[in-house]
Amino acid sequence: MHLEIHHETTYRYDTPLSHSVQLLRLTPRRDPDQTTLHWHLEIPGRTDLTIDAYGNEQHVLTLDQPVDEIRIVAQGVVETRAPTPQREAIPALVFRQPTVLTTADEAIKTFARNYQRLVEKHGRQGLMDLMADLLDRMPYTPGQTNAGTTAPESFAQGLGVCQDHAHVFIAICRHLGLPARYISGYLYTENDHHVASHAWVETQTEGAWHAFDVSNACIPDERYVRLAIGLDYLDACPVRGLRRGGGAETMVSHARVRSILHFQPHQPLQPQQQQQQQQQQQQQ
Amino acid sequence: MHQIDLPAQTGFDEMLDRDHSIRSHYKPFFDWLNAQTPAMLAKRRQEAELLFHRVGITFSVHGDESGNERLIPFDTIPRIIPAAEWQHLEAGLKQRVAALNAFLHDIYHHQHILKAGKIPAEQVLVNAQYRSAMCGMDLPHNLYAHIAGIDIIRHGDGNYYVLEDNLRVPSGVSYMLENRKMMMRLFPELFEKHAVAPVEHYPSLLLSTLRQSSYADNPTVVVMTPGHFNSAYFEHAFLAQQMGVELVEGRDLFVKDLKVYMRTTAGPKQVDVIYRRLDDLFIDPLVFHPDSSLGVPGLIAAYRAGNVVLANAIGTGVADDKSIYPYVPDMIRFYLDEEPLLLNVPTWQCRNPSELSHVLANLDELVVKEVHGAGGYGMLIGPKATRAEIDHFRDLLKANPANYIAQPTLSLSTCPTFVEEGIAPRHIDLRPFVLSGNTVRIVPGGLARVALQKGSLVVNSSQGGGTKDAWILEA
Repeated sequence: MHLEIHHETTYRYDTPLSHSVQLLRLTPRRDPDQTTLHWHLEIPGRTDLTIDAYGNEQHVLTLDQPVDEIRIVAQGVVETRAPTPQREAIPALVFRQPTVLTTADEAIKTFARNYQRLVEKHGRQGLMDLMADLLDRMPYTPGQTNAGTTAPESFAQGLGVCQDHAHVFIAICRHLGLPARYISGYLYTENDHHVASHAWVETQTEGAWHAFDVSNACIPDERYVRLAIGLDYLDACPVRGLRRGGGAETMVSHARVRSILHFQPHQPLQPQQQQQQQQQQQQQ
Repeated sequence: MHQIDLPAQTGFDEMLDRDHSIRSHYKPFFDWLNAQTPAMLAKRRQEAELLFHRVGITFSVHGDESGNERLIPFDTIPRIIPAAEWQHLEAGLKQRVAALNAFLHDIYHHQHILKAGKIPAEQVLVNAQYRSAMCGMDLPHNLYAHIAGIDIIRHGDGNYYVLEDNLRVPSGVSYMLENRKMMMRLFPELFEKHAVAPVEHYPSLLLSTLRQSSYADNPTVVVMTPGHFNSAYFEHAFLAQQMGVELVEGRDLFVKDLKVYMRTTAGPKQVDVIYRRLDDLFIDPLVFHPDSSLGVPGLIAAYRAGNVVLANAIGTGVADDKSIYPYVPDMIRFYLDEEPLLLNVPTWQCRNPSELSHVLANLDELVVKEVHGAGGYGMLIGPKATRAEIDHFRDLLKANPANYIAQPTLSLSTCPTFVEEGIAPRHIDLRPFVLSGNTVRIVPGGLARVALQKGSLVVNSSQGGGTKDAWILEA
């Protein structure tokens, strides 16, 4: 598939911001099953490109002049193919390390235990059953959790958005002894019920990484574009920043993904379709 | 003559041998001691306390409800180590730290030692101290632990053993330096009678080690502290002052264009080497704890870009973790193709069911430690514990066996020490500081700690231990 992506994030501040550093993970990964045909970042200042330990392209944006607005636009076209095995930047076992956001509590462990034999016996198929049951247990519900919500918190509430689903699924997989990682990226959908900026999980079972999208209870395919991977949201989220000054912050983010037949360089971008809005940094 | 309580026949005393005669390397000191009156020595001890207060060399202690800082008691009887013993220790320490640095480079790159099956991969890669942010990153000279503090004890059998490697932010070197200064001030005549190897060049060796850690020409070095509320703040300030470099906190530094700068009155100045005395997880809120206000946002990106050196590197804790300690002799064989010169304490890993059952059956004889514990907290000393304490640890072990290791209760050697009743044997250890730059260098000496309570084996300053001056005699 050829997916055309337009992702715009704007931060506004009550009083001018004096200093801020942001890590931008807004460039699609160079993975065997996705090729970036065209990509452009519009950033209000000088950035430096780095590659982090997970192989994510990361732009470091430093602002040291007073500003009251930061607008970041990422856009381009990515060609996606059926998922193929990933090259390993770091050893899979590292993705069994618990993090603050993904540490299983007793409730998650109890839930996980019911699937232990199923997963041991049927691997990926067992995880698909687990995924479907987990979504029943915590239906997709925006607005009730935030970017800092931990896996035990959303699991206890019995609801969440894609970030929460990913964290709980990761906590379960790691508790079952399987490496699991957080994927941040874009999702193309034909309807507009889901936000195009998305998060899902990859779990290693039967010697290979397999992707699971808990929020949609499906297996990711060519409709998914990977931006970044990591142990959890904090490692992989599109923008992680810190600032001095600025007073209260409001953030508006639009992400749009369209399917196009062919990519032609210099083709003007079409009017926006399937526009979605994110009021917080959380991945929904 | 002074009243000296005799050490137990079963242990090893640094001054007195089994027949209670004075060991030859202590003879000149012992003769001098006997020529002093108790009143004069008491006066000198008071003087020392007063001077230490004036210098402000203090250490805040966990669990002290008043939150007060206090002096670490200083004992005026030195620990004396003969030249030949030090040569052995020095060679063993250099070998050990070289292997630990090779291990750290390996596990953040190809993991040869894990693939060779020498250490279970899970124990390293799923370890809470393993920092994925370090994966695939090349460091100058492949060095991770530029400054290592290796805790050494002498057992009742007379042999030296490594008790623990400290590769994160080892502290205590300021006591080595201040204790020596104090002894030279109080008892200058002793240094005429003994050829004591000097230690006062440690700050200049440290500075040259830090400068060697960077490929930059004429690198700018800073000491980074978490702040004045840290228990070792005195030492951070002391070392910065001794080296003649800036002492900074996170808020004094910022990252721009993947480079680190410090704010100065003359404008921003690029920093090439940060001798950081705060833990990994606080150093960059954009990579680790997001709510840390002690660190520098963007520091890890600058680090990965090769524009700044952190000493020690991020992620060294995985090599000094107590669950990894039992494998250090194997690391020496694997990376250096040498036999270890220093002994490791036999260690049971409670994560292995057979070793766990041995430990549970012998709790009253063993020392049990938390894998990630430090400072003498979270440990059980079987022979000194009450029934209730042992039962408590039995529950802890069963609930989370992988969190614990156990070792035989070592009879740390004793050294005569001034106590209320006169002079009595007290248990001691030694932490030499190993500096790795273009070469590996060790100042002859170290932090000599002493457990001041009779029979106590816990020498940690955080638990009321004291310090001594450690003398390495020149050959």
